[in-house]
Amino acid sequence: MSETDSFGDLRDLYQEVILDHGRRPRHAVRLADFDSSAKGDNPMCGDRVQVWVKFNADDIGQIGFEARGCAISIASADLMAETVQGRSKADTRALFEAFREMARTGTCPACDASLAAPIERLAPLSGVHEYPSRVKCATLPWHALIAVLDGTKEASSE
Amino acid sequence: MISFALDNAHAHDVATLLDRQGIAVRAGHHCAEPLMQRFNLDSTARASFGVYTTHAEIDALADGLIRVREFFA
Repeated sequence: MSETDSFGDLRDLYQEVILDHGRRPRHAVRLADFDSSAKGDNPMCGDRVQVWVKFNADDIGQIGFEARGCAISIASADLMAETVQGRSKADTRALFEAFREMARTGTCPACDASLAAPIERLAPLSGVHEYPSRVKCATLPWHALIAVLDGTKEASSE
Repeated sequence: MISFALDNAHAHDVATLLDRQGIAVRAGHHCAEPLMQRFNLDSTARASFGVYTTHAEIDALADGLIRVREFFA
């Protein structure tokens, strides 16, 4: 048995895509040209994220983030940025609700079929539902993004 | 009591992996946010020892941390 295999069911939480995006996030950039920005802060665990958005009419044109936190929070921020780029504000909110449901329960039975593709992309994060203390790691970047859309400057997933 | 940080693995990831090996540590700010800022840390893991802690348990922690490091290598 290899070292990694001996962690068994932790592979459900730390899937390869999570480890990869946690180590090498593609969207972890501070946008120089942006319309709105917000911070997400979880003072209990120490996770912090800031999200910058440049809108293209009603759509998220460009999104970047800076995060200090665990592998799950950074991977979640990166997969979030990937899936919301080019998406409208209303669609982004709907995707957040669907993702939050998946993070809490592992599935999203009420998910709109139109969200099937992005939800599938975010599915590697669904393993957090088995770890209640880690759900907020996955949802913090989304709370920051929703704060951007709401025009508030700060969000907390506590 | 020992507070520590690992390269390449955030304290919450460390705590979850140790937990799966039957080892309980605390992770986060430990209600000491100003101290964390002082050392420019976002969090640490913390192991506590008592008079009832055995050598085998301390060895398990050391072995567990090596495995955590390899997992996130």
